[in-house]
Amino acid sequence: MNHKREKDEHIERLYYMKEKETDSTDALKTAMNGNMDFGLIDELSSEDMIKLSADGSKIKLTKKGADYGRQIIRAHRLAERLLYDVLGGDFESGACEFEHIVTPELVDSICILLGHPKLCPHGTPIPEGQCCRRSAKTAHSSVIPLSELKIGQSARIAYVNCKSDQQLHKINGLHLRPGVTATLHQKYPTFVVECEGSNIAMDEQIASSICVWKGLDPL
Amino acid sequence: MPILTRKEEWDRCGLSNSAEVKKIAIVGLPNTGKSQVFNNLTGTYTLVANYPLTTVEIKKTECLINGQSYEVIDTPGLHCLYIHSEEELQVRDMIFSEKPDVIIQCIDANQLKQSLTLTADLLELEIPMVISLNAIDETAKKGIWIDSGGLSRALGIPVIESIAVNGIGTNQLKAAISKARIGKWSVKYGEIIDTGMSAIVPQLPEDVWFKQKAAVLLLLDDPFLADYLTKKYGVEKIAQLTEQVNRVKKQFRGNIAHTVNNTRIRWMDELAENTTRRQRIEPNQFATGFARLSRHPVFGIPILLMILFIMYLLVVNVANVIAGWMDQALWAPVEAKIDSFVTIGWLNEFLIGDYGILSLGLANAFLTIMPILSVFFIAFNILEDVGYIPNLCVLTKRIFDKLGLSGSAIMPLILGFGCKTMATLTTKSLKSKKERYIAIYLIAFAIPCAAQMALNMSILGRMGVRAFVIAFSTLVIVEIVAGVALNKILKEEERSDFLQELPAIRLPNPKAVIIKTYYRLWWFIKEAVPVFIYAAVAMFVIDKIGLLNATKNALEPVMTRFIGLPLEMVDALIMCMARHEAAAGMIIKLIESGKLNYVQCIIAVTITTMFVPCFANIVAMIKQLGAKRALSMAVIINASSFLIAGLLNWLLVGVFKL
Repeated sequence: MNHKREKDEHIERLYYMKEKETDSTDALKTAMNGNMDFGLIDELSSEDMIKLSADGSKIKLTKKGADYGRQIIRAHRLAERLLYDVLGGDFESGACEFEHIVTPELVDSICILLGHPKLCPHGTPIPEGQCCRRSAKTAHSSVIPLSELKIGQSARIAYVNCKSDQQLHKINGLHLRPGVTATLHQKYPTFVVECEGSNIAMDEQIASSICVWKGLDPL
Repeated sequence: MPILTRKEEWDRCGLSNSAEVKKIAIVGLPNTGKSQVFNNLTGTYTLVANYPLTTVEIKKTECLINGQSYEVIDTPGLHCLYIHSEEELQVRDMIFSEKPDVIIQCIDANQLKQSLTLTADLLELEIPMVISLNAIDETAKKGIWIDSGGLSRALGIPVIESIAVNGIGTNQLKAAISKARIGKWSVKYGEIIDTGMSAIVPQLPEDVWFKQKAAVLLLLDDPFLADYLTKKYGVEKIAQLTEQVNRVKKQFRGNIAHTVNNTRIRWMDELAENTTRRQRIEPNQFATGFARLSRHPVFGIPILLMILFIMYLLVVNVANVIAGWMDQALWAPVEAKIDSFVTIGWLNEFLIGDYGILSLGLANAFLTIMPILSVFFIAFNILEDVGYIPNLCVLTKRIFDKLGLSGSAIMPLILGFGCKTMATLTTKSLKSKKERYIAIYLIAFAIPCAAQMALNMSILGRMGVRAFVIAFSTLVIVEIVAGVALNKILKEEERSDFLQELPAIRLPNPKAVIIKTYYRLWWFIKEAVPVFIYAAVAMFVIDKIGLLNATKNALEPVMTRFIGLPLEMVDALIMCMARHEAAAGMIIKLIESGKLNYVQCIIAVTITTMFVPCFANIVAMIKQLGAKRALSMAVIINASSFLIAGLLNWLLVGVFKL
């Protein structure tokens, strides 16, 4: 178990190679920046995660390995999306202001999903939340599309799901962006949203691509 | 930070050289009063209205401000320098190629935050700037207070408060132009991007201005700029540049656009926070309440119908009466005098005959058409000033969906009710070819422009409200059928999004309405009256050489039997090709001499509304679609207008027995 991280790294790289359709051991070496661990390779091979060719020049994931890799990549990429979209994507400074950005509802949801953990990774206790006392089992989505708000309701925008950068710029240009409060004025014949003092008409497709925090009173 | 090329250039030229003409570009978000400021500064008049897309083309004029000659450039709305539409590209190209000496950014005080995106972009250009903070009276009413002094200190440029519609703040703005300076812009995007930019700047071709901005835009994957550079300098010359840009992108693992955006958003939020104070309770305003009602699914339609009805009543009960009186009091005696003095047959006819230049030309234009247009334009300009019209795009969204027009095509169509030519020009912003084609077709076809609407009301008003309702229902149905048919015929393309900012509803400003009405009438006199006179002369000639009668005889079966109109209507249709207003004048004369009955009157209005778009509109169509497609469209429109008129005649006479 203590090599899990290293194992995962190897499988991750092999998965990338699979995506790029290469299977040479040399490619893995380069991908690992020379940190390739042959002991680990043997171990993975015995776990039926990877398959080496007879001369050792080709290496690829087995079905089991590929399934496992898929999970890692999924988690990795979802986390990326979370950091990137929801938390503002401040990659460069590495400063993640998680606790300043999430709502209590979202924290509860995360807590439920994690099974109400009692201790943090450093071993200090995590204060109990509402959800722990109720031992809630199902997490409710804290983010809903703007189109599902009631008429007259206001909510803070969490993120905008855009089909293109162009569209994102257009929506951003009207100041429909994470953190601002939007009020839904009407849904029919089309959506009208008030935001930062201006009224904006939009179709359902755009209204449902703007996601807002549910049940959060604007200031 | 990279070398500030622009600043150096400034120092070299020196600002004091007053002999040369300097350029001032007025830029800003849509509907922030750019054209109004342009008018205030230059003393000229371009059309202004309380909604976006009023200005579609760049306009320039020279004038003297505080002893220095300037070329002032008015531009269509621009959200930021990262471009999403053609008009915006046009503005950016203008800035990049003209290198204005001063930029005036118009900001609607109600939307300070939204405007700061563009401010950030403009600051990066390092061109001396002034901010004109418009509509400052409205924020005060809303309980919002903007610290313009603080804003000015934070940005390092003059910020001038103004109420542009009343011309308040114009002198201060003029004085500030000479104090325009390069603003403070010290935002850092983080180490990788900042050093990346410094590495890109030296790779840019020497004669590219605004290197700093160009570097950011390249990192943001701006498609137009990369294309432009490739086209101008060739792939090889910019190979190194492209490589450098890609290197920075690779080095930066996240999404550069996100990071740059977020950095600027933080800057804007902070700036807006520090310079704006709002009272806790927002006062209830009549205007916002009216805005909501006017696009409400239940109350919206009755409000629209009521507005139409009020305009109808104004035209029928005020305009028609004035026109009738002017005809009696001013024209009848003159006509009688001329008739008794000019005894030479052909000359008498040339002056005051059926196609006389005085009767069909001048009297028609000034005494019949002008009063109607004046009254209608006052009402219409009030609507424009209030900002009512764009709300229609909310009310009509579902209908347009069915017509194959999603999203961005709605606004141009709505604008068609003002001026079809301008509306056709705004279709430039539509990306889908199919939508553009349908929109241009529908604008040219059965939508009456403001002038046409006024005259239709005046003509139909002589027959009663029911005639007006029948004719307009027909036009609506025709438009819907045409839209649905075109949508079926043309092949499907990706639908565009509908995202439209609605202007804030304001109480109309009497002075602005009067000035605008004055200019609209002046333009009518300048542009249309000569056409009236030429058309009268042309009619006189083709009548004398017998061509008119030959045409009438040829059209006889279609005109009288199929459409059920008297042959005199051929005259009106010919006049229509010159100017729709001239045709309306003829129809009014026909009604007065008892030659058109109830049904014929409805049909005459329907056919003239649909028949040949005016000359300017055809020119605009050619500009958008190319000559071949535009002209074939005009032919199809004319053929269908005859067909529809025939069908309507059959329905009204044959089926409904009217």
